[in-house]
Amino acid sequence: MKRFNHFNATTMEEAVNLLNESEGPAYVIAGGSDLMGCLKDNLWMEAPERVINLKTIPGLKEINVKDDGLHIGAMVTLTEVAESDAVKEQWPGLAEAARRTASPLLRNMGTVAGNICQENRCWYYRYPDKIGGRIDCVRKGGKRCLAVPGDHRLHSIFGQVKKCIAVNPSDTAPAFVALNATIKTTKRDIPIDEFFSAEMGAQSTILDRNEIVTEIVVPTPKAGPTSAFNKIAYRKSIDFALVNCAASITIEDGKVTAARICLNGVHNNPRRCETSEQMLVGKQLTEAVAKEAGELAVAEAKPLLQNIYKVQMAKTIVSDTLLDCIK
Amino acid sequence: MNDNPKRLIQLTVNGEIQTVPVESHWTLSKVLRNDCGHTGTKEACDEGACGACTVLIDGLAVPACMILAVEQEGKDIETIEGLSVDGKLHPIQEAWLEEYGSQCGFCSPGMIMTTKYLLSKNPNPTDDEIKEAIGGNLCICSNYEHIINAVRSAAQKMSKEQTHV
Ligand SMILES: Cc1cc2nc3c(=O)[nH]c(=O)nc-3n(C[C@H](O)[C@H](O)[C@H](O)COP(=O)(O)OP(=O)(O)OC[C@H]3O[C@@H](n4cnc5c(N)ncnc54)[C@H](O)[C@@H]3O)c2cc1C
Ligand code: SF4
Ligand code: FES
Ligand code: FES
Repeated sequence: MKRFNHFNATTMEEAVNLLNESEGPAYVIAGGSDLMGCLKDNLWMEAPERVINLKTIPGLKEINVKDDGLHIGAMVTLTEVAESDAVKEQWPGLAEAARRTASPLLRNMGTVAGNICQENRCWYYRYPDKIGGRIDCVRKGGKRCLAVPGDHRLHSIFGQVKKCIAVNPSDTAPAFVALNATIKTTKRDIPIDEFFSAEMGAQSTILDRNEIVTEIVVPTPKAGPTSAFNKIAYRKSIDFALVNCAASITIEDGKVTAARICLNGVHNNPRRCETSEQMLVGKQLTEAVAKEAGELAVAEAKPLLQNIYKVQMAKTIVSDTLLDCIK
Repeated sequence: MNDNPKRLIQLTVNGEIQTVPVESHWTLSKVLRNDCGHTGTKEACDEGACGACTVLIDGLAVPACMILAVEQEGKDIETIEGLSVDGKLHPIQEAWLEEYGSQCGFCSPGMIMTTKYLLSKNPNPTDDEIKEAIGGNLCICSNYEHIINAVRSAAQKMSKEQTHV
């Protein structure tokens, strides 16, 4: 790991100032379970000059249920969300997503905010500097993507963004999309549908370099706790999703009146399944309807040679997750 | 950047305060092993994926290789060395011996710390709960069968101790 200067921030303002004043790249650290890997492997073309600890800022570790919904502070861990009775009761899709993320040890340190800000896991991107030199691919500002001609079995089945086909790896991201969360930052409130972006270089979000997530707000579902999450990975623990999916539906008088479905691990950004959502409205959620929703979700898939298998996974996980919403 | 000096920090390891000079990028597992003399904490993957380096920080089981030492001042750090008292093994360690919880033993310190965390939250876990709880700890010897027996037996020992007190 390269040397950097470490700061313990005591307020958000101080953290933002520390970011602003840095001459070189500066990163905030929450749990560090993603950032430490990036630092150890010396991934970026420019090594960070500063690492700013957010854990020393008081008041960011609370889960509160208010009139407008669930408020999750930026330092709340995945374990805390997974084990919260309030979340399990009202937002089961989110509780399950947190419970299925990484491993129990990593969930004790990893935050939910860090989870939606983490960088992609493309194995060329993550190739450690210490073993023969890091790979400066397109996503880092370099010239080539190695995954397109190389091994892309874990990559996007819905095309590329700026020549990169690395998928968004987050497990909680699709849950926040399905539940229509708002991300509150030191600058603004960002609707979750606008939060993720693979167009900003290495990072996965639209956040400015001096912008910090302070809180995530998830509205209370109108018609009860009808949300669900599923994940397909090599192993039940530790591994990232090959494909995951979260869905949240509103059912009134036996018919679906609203639906939000989100796949992840299939494209650079979490992917809403809008045609499936539209098809569901006005229908009774039967097995056949759920199956049709799965088929619509992958209708536009453009898999590559080595990841065709993900299309079948995505199709199945959408229909399974929809049915889990009403189980 | 070049004027990055070592910083003196105070770490509370197994109840004892140690003052150690650390650089900002040093991980807790390195500092425990190299500077605090606690080589019981193992390092295998050094990327958060195996649990060999598991310690308890303020009671939570976490991988010490993913944690910056400079951020641990004022925290209560517990390592495998803290378990036995005056040469008497902790019930989890006894269970590990009796149930052959170790083959090569490299995963054992981490597994045992994770077990301590599990039993502090859930004194009477089912087999499924044990499997889920040790999901972040890998045993390359694939001794899982015995490890699960050891956790089960540790739970029994500890709940007996409780009822005797
Ligand atoms: C072995 C292993 C397995 C893993 N498996 C999974 C998995 O299955 N699913 C999954 O989703 N993730 C997985 N992860 C990734 C990681 O553990 C999680 O994403 C975790 O939630 C990250 O949170 P953190 O608090 O540790 O983030 P950090 O590492 O502290 O931060 C991650 C990034 O977000 C930025 N950041 C953090 N907090 C904020 C904030 N408040 N505002 C703005 N930017 C911020 C940091 O600068 C950094 O770039 C895995 C990691 C490892 C090492
Ligand atoms: S897929 Fe993206 S991150 Fe991976 S090598 Fe290509 S450009 Fe880099
Ligand atoms: S050495 Fe820390 S998790 Fe493997
Ligand atoms: S006993 Fe050898 S790694 Fe577990």
